[in-house]
Order: sequence, then C-alpha cells, then structure tokens
Amino acid sequence: MSGNILDEAVEVWFGPQHVSAHGWATKLTIVGDFIVECDPNAGYFHRSAEKCLEFRDFRQGALIMERLCMLEAFLAEYPYVKAVEKIAALEVPERAKVMRTIMMEASRIHSLQFWWGQFAAELGLFAMLLWPWVDREYFLDSFEELTGSRHAVSYNTPGGVKYDFTEKSVKMLLRALDRIEYRIPTFRDMILKSPTFKLRTRNVGTFTAEQGLKWGLSGPNIKACGIPMDLRKDDPDPDLAYNMCDWEVPTTQSEEHPGGSDAYDRMVQRFREIETSISIIRQLLPQVPEGPIVDPKARAKTNRLPAGEAYGRVEGTRGITTLWLKTADKAQTPYRAKIRGPCFSSYYSLKHLVPGSTFADFIVIFGSLDPYPGWWDR
Amino acid sequence: MTEPTTVPQGMSPSTLAKHVIDRHPDVSAKEPEGNRIELIVPAERVRDVVGMISELVPDALPESLFGVDLGNDRYEVMYFFWSHSNLMLCQLRVTLEGASPEVDSVWDIFPGMEWHERETHEMFGIGFKGNPDLRLLLLPDELDGKYPLRKSFKTDRSRLAESGLAETRPTSKESETSG
Repeated sequence: MSGNILDEAVEVWFGPQHVSAHGWATKLTIVGDFIVECDPNAGYFHRSAEKCLEFRDFRQGALIMERLCMLEAFLAEYPYVKAVEKIAALEVPERAKVMRTIMMEASRIHSLQFWWGQFAAELGLFAMLLWPWVDREYFLDSFEELTGSRHAVSYNTPGGVKYDFTEKSVKMLLRALDRIEYRIPTFRDMILKSPTFKLRTRNVGTFTAEQGLKWGLSGPNIKACGIPMDLRKDDPDPDLAYNMCDWEVPTTQSEEHPGGSDAYDRMVQRFREIETSISIIRQLLPQVPEGPIVDPKARAKTNRLPAGEAYGRVEGTRGITTLWLKTADKAQTPYRAKIRGPCFSSYYSLKHLVPGSTFADFIVIFGSLDPYPGWWDR
Repeated sequence: MTEPTTVPQGMSPSTLAKHVIDRHPDVSAKEPEGNRIELIVPAERVRDVVGMISELVPDALPESLFGVDLGNDRYEVMYFFWSHSNLMLCQLRVTLEGASPEVDSVWDIFPGMEWHERETHEMFGIGFKGNPDLRLLLLPDELDGKYPLRKSFKTDRSRLAESGLAETRPTSKESETSG
C-alpha cells in the first residue's frame, strides 16, 4: 500500500481530439474514477482578434466580432458597435433600435436551440441532437432572407442596422417562432422528465451563486441560482428596445440546491430563456416604427473618431459580453480593443467546479455551462 | 466566506468612492456617470482597494481585467467590477511604468481574475506578484516573452522570423523566377 493516494493518479487529456471537445483540451488528473485536479487549456482557436481589431476601421470591426461566436452573431457584434456609437456620438433611429432588439433575441433563441441539442447529444441522447437543429434551420432561413447570410450576418453597424425588414423576412421569422412555440413544450417534457436525463444531471456540477460570482460567471449560469442578474434590465441600453415590452428576467429557484444550481437547473433555466425571448419578439414585432434604419451621418462620423474611451456591454446568450474601446484622436482604427467573452470565465471555473466529480460527469459539467471556444480564445 | 460585519445597503457609486477615498486618500475618483464610477488607484494600493470592493459589495462580479500600452514603457491596467444588487459598474485604473512593469495580483480575492491576469501577462509582459500560475494561456510557445499586444510588436511580414512562426508563402513573382 502506498501512502499517498496521488501515487496512483493518472493524467488524462480530454480533447482536443474528443468528439465533444471541439477546439479545447483539458488536463484531468484522475484517481480511480474521480477527478482530483482539472487544468483547462485555452488557445487552440486563438486568432488574435484584439490585435486584428487594431488594424480594421470602425465599420469593419463588427465583422471580426461576429466571427467569435457565429451562433449569436447579432449579439456578438453589438458591444463593438455600441462602443463606436458612444465615441462617435451617433443617434440610432427608433426603427433600428427595435429591429436590432428583435434580431438579437432571435439570435439568442437560435443559439440556445443549438446548445441544448448538442448538450443532449453529449449525454448520449443522440436522437435529441437533430430535433432542435431542425427548428433552428427556420431561424437561419429568416436570417438569410434578411441579411443574405445564414451565419456571418453582419447586421448591426455603427448608427443603426444594415438591412431593412421586408414582408417576407418578417413572415419567415414568424414562421420560425410558430414552429418553435409549437415544439418546445413537447421537447421540454421529453428531456426534463426523462429519468435518464435526470440521473445524469441532478446534483452534478453544483455551485452556489456566491461561488459563481467570484469566478466571474454571468448569464443563465447565475440566473439558474435564482439571481435575476440580466443586463437587459439592470443596465438598460437606450439604443435597444427592451423597455418597449413587458417581460420579467427568467430565473430558476433550485428545489434541491437553494441559492445554487446543478446541471439540471441550468437546463431548465435555458428553456425559460427561450420562452422569454419568444415573448419579447412577439411583443416588439407589431411595434416596429416607420423611419430610417441608420443615422444618416454615421458614415461620415465613423471614418475618423475623436480620442475617447467607451465600454459597450450586452447580455449575450452566455452572459455578460463586453468590448472596451480606446481611440486616439482622428484615428481610423482603434488604439486598443478588449473583448470580454462570457465563456472565458465559465471555462476557467471548471478548475474549481470539476475536482471531486467522476470522470463521466466531466462532460456534463462542461456542457451545462454552455461554453463556446471562440469566446475564450478570441 | 467571511461575512463583513456591516454590509452597507444600497451602495451607490459615489458612496463607494467616498468609502475608498476616506480609507486611502491617495486614491482619486472621477465624477460618476450614471451607474458607473472610475477610481484611479496607485499600483501599490490595488490589493487594498479590490479587497474593499469585495467587502463593501458582496456580490461584485469580476467582469474584466486588461492592459493598455500607452507607449514609452507606460502601461495601464483596468479592472471592471459589476454589482447586480447595486446596479453599479466600478472601474479601477492603474498606471504602471518601466520595461517590466509589475502589480500585485488579486486572484485570491477574486479567483475569476486569475486567467485575466495570465492573459495580460502573456500579451503585455505585465507581472502579477502573487499569481502562482502565469504560464502561457492563449499564445503558442514561440511567442513566449514577445508580448504581442505591446505597440512595439510589429505585425508586418518583415518581422515574421523574429516571431518564430511559419515562413510566408513566396509571392507570385518570386515563384515565377524560381520555377
């Protein structure tokens, strides 16, 4: 018998070749079936987005931002656009504000649909993988009708939006909403009432709100602990239209972990997010006012910006997404741009969250945080 | 978690600034803009001020930490904290000087800052005293110690050899002559 239990430890690299590990790798130290140490590794996708932004003008930058997370492209490009608008003092027309908000919420639903299909597949429920992805196609079709592209939408631009709603694009968006509204209750029952799913996710990856906040977690991961922390309500953006509709921040009060959440609670929470977003879009669509879609001075004002600093923030699908922008006087490109992706913190938190759990639960914990490598590697 | 003895209710940006400046007179504050407060903190006070934020704002979220290269060996490090219960965004601005600037780490107060410090270290060469893990996070090994987000790091092709990364492809003209 050896004295030290760590003498029997085995180091295992989880990823980057694993099916579920698309672009990340984590070193796990395992004793028996239990993980004693977790060392997440980043950088497999690093494309120096922050340095690239220093070489692109203020209208091109948003295109780099949306490539960091294609699933929530409308949301990902917004912090950059917002920061440029602040420094250039642009006035966003009312019509553009409402259209932006609608498309950002559509993007959120699309991203959450993608996530839960994938999460179910990671747990071995492969039939669940494609069902939400079929519904997601309807959203992609409506994005394509509106912007000409399914993923790299390039919709928000400093001062407004690039493409106006057409009768057909609105109709396609409504069709996507009808479809998902019809299917979500069935899916929710199928997955959340499934005994297999409950066994795999209950009491797995449990943390309290205090712990989560210290690690930097935000978005649905914190809302699942019962805290209504949501920038859409907390830090209302005058260039978005969330105040034009009636909605509450969705939260989940965990029955088993008061003040905390496990993987199951986070799944419940994300279904609530989808429902909230559907309700917001439904309320905003009839309220789109007439008028221009972009500030007529936007082009002239964004060629060169005055010296300044601005902080653009948005509540992304996965949490607080921000961009800090510094410009030198009369510069055509940013002096410094810092991207804060929400998953940077969720990926980091594995270091604290995983030790003590079994090897089989690792992918459940990872998947339940809705991580996206583009946000931490940038 | 140690509970602070008196948790002030409804901490506003100006009250927070007042509390911090009362205890540390060498910290200065900019005029609050709405829910946002910016504190200018001397490098040796960072741990004290971040500790106070953790104590006075129990639900502070370590939102971001990053460096800015101001040129001529001057750097800024920014810290952002967001509080949901007070709806307050608190920004700390620390100015550092020298070829290898250094500041105290705050990772033990806010573990969420650990990787932000690691990234700032590899990108700007800013040291964080007390952070036990300053390995490369995002960069490949060839770029260790090159600090690519410093303004002195040129990205034009003439310096590719220095970066240790792969050679450029020959231009069409070169390939014509060689072929």
